[in-house]
Amino acid sequence: MKNEFYIGWQDKAPKAYAKKMRAVVISLFLLVILIALGLVLTQKPVAESTFEPTQLRTLDGILVKTPIPCLKMPTGINTAGEQEYQRVLLIGFGKHGAIPTIEAIEKDQNQSLDGKGVQLEGKLIYYDGKLAMELSNGLAAFKGISNLKGQASIQKLLGEMSLKGEILDPKCYLGVMRPGEGKPHRSCAIRCIEGGIPPLFRVAGKQGQQYFFALDSNGTPINDKVAKFVADEIQLCGAVEQWDDWYVVKVDLEQGFTRLQPYWAKDTEVPMCVSR
Amino acid sequence: MSISYTTVQWNRQKRRYDRIMLAIMGGYLLTFAAAQFIFYPNLTPETTIIRATGTLAYFMLQVILCIGPLSRLDSRFMPLLYNRRHLGVTMFLVALVHGLFNIVQFHALGNTDPLLSLFISNTNYGSVMLFPFQVLGFFALLILFLMAATSHDFWLKNLGPRTWKSLHMMVYVAYALLVFHVMLGVIELEQSPFWIGLTGVGVMTVVGLHVTAAALEQKRLMSQRAFDLVQEGYFDIGPIEAIAENRAKIVFLEGENIAIFKYENKISAVSNICRHQHGPLGEGAIVDGCITCPWHGYQYYPHNGQSPPPFTEKLETYDVKIADGNVWVHPKPYPEGTERPAALVA
Repeated sequence: MKNEFYIGWQDKAPKAYAKKMRAVVISLFLLVILIALGLVLTQKPVAESTFEPTQLRTLDGILVKTPIPCLKMPTGINTAGEQEYQRVLLIGFGKHGAIPTIEAIEKDQNQSLDGKGVQLEGKLIYYDGKLAMELSNGLAAFKGISNLKGQASIQKLLGEMSLKGEILDPKCYLGVMRPGEGKPHRSCAIRCIEGGIPPLFRVAGKQGQQYFFALDSNGTPINDKVAKFVADEIQLCGAVEQWDDWYVVKVDLEQGFTRLQPYWAKDTEVPMCVSR
Repeated sequence: MSISYTTVQWNRQKRRYDRIMLAIMGGYLLTFAAAQFIFYPNLTPETTIIRATGTLAYFMLQVILCIGPLSRLDSRFMPLLYNRRHLGVTMFLVALVHGLFNIVQFHALGNTDPLLSLFISNTNYGSVMLFPFQVLGFFALLILFLMAATSHDFWLKNLGPRTWKSLHMMVYVAYALLVFHVMLGVIELEQSPFWIGLTGVGVMTVVGLHVTAAALEQKRLMSQRAFDLVQEGYFDIGPIEAIAENRAKIVFLEGENIAIFKYENKISAVSNICRHQHGPLGEGAIVDGCITCPWHGYQYYPHNGQSPPPFTEKLETYDVKIADGNVWVHPKPYPEGTERPAALVA
């Protein structure tokens, strides 16, 4: 080392420098491998949600345009003799709701399709028993009128409740992005909801998760009112209804949304709906 | 050194430096991607790219920030410093991939311009915990872009070393922004002790090395200022033997930062500040008869402060003399490149 002097433009570094650099390079190489493994292995688990980006499927169902665009697909008759439906949430391309696409199809077909049996083509998004479909190809999503006739849905009031959970955009959460929740995803979820995708309120706990579409007390969309609460732990109050296989919470906007402390105890019992 | 601008003035060590850098980066990215694929197959490829590039760029920036103080503490780290600009530009490119994928993933295909969306989607600017952390990353990336874009010697020459250096000191602002970008973003999501601990260790390492190097530098500066004995404007800076052959002693006299070199039984004094990036010439050595800067190897003749032709850089020179076995130096600088007679060692 003594009297050795390093000059970058010389062909070789002096021995002491070269020895040190060998140690540094080996250490750095081992360090990055360990860091990469450590970072990956300690991540939060990712939901087993699915998006089929290359698979177009055609579904046959009854179109419901508002307040939450969906395709009602009959699944059978329950023990009470009621027609059961699976509601497939309809979503537009990118960070947009399905309404503009549906209206464009209606204009193209020169008829209202609301409440009619239709065949729609799109890409499926599904997770935790919930199904959505992206109408990816605009007017080409419409494949024709089907023979299905609209029948009464199961739609009943479950009661006034207060709920704790997180507002999500269902497109990303149900599978397009994994993960599609939490703070890093907040901006994306806000864009999706402001783009017309119905906000979905998730209540999570040990026993699983429940999902509620959020509307106001008159049953109209509240996309513009929830944006600043997206991805935070919040509490809201409202009338909870069952619409076929989904829940809807008609939020009491006078009580508004209460932002809870981040990371409220996740180990407590599921904060299921509680009557006020 | 170069008399004209070339994109990269390649040499053997730069090539080795870049190859090793790319190999380590490749090792990280491959390990990260493979582990994601094996243990988290449901994570989307875009998310894997965002996480891999974000963590890699952040790690690279911390390595870059550690190189300076490490080189101050142990000169054997100098080879890391030599080609640090390639490391910096590469780090920016990795960060750019992270930023672009984020913009596309989280802000594109919406009802507003993706860049505008970055600023108006999350508007919790008044809250620490809810702060839109992506905005912090954007401004850090902007600083890193400015640094990468002006990293070439063309900009160093045209902006001047002082302005250029000031601009590049903004890397610390970028780092501070990125620490909060990480803390308010992914750490809030992951909450893993490993992620939090790693972030903490990174910050402590960067800060700790800087504080240690600064303390050492302060101690050295104090010892370089304590010269009270003055005769006819000359300061007694100590015995000849205190300066090693082909090396220098650095002193601060009346606002002048002076490097006093001993070589071939002669003593000469020049400005301690290299004209390239303001490197400390006094920590360099005489190689092939020239003062050689420890940072990038810029060279100057000790007796006149001029770079050997065809190079044109010049340093201020100072008068020196030897009396009673001690070296004396006059702190009045001569114009750059002025030849001054070396003091002869008996």
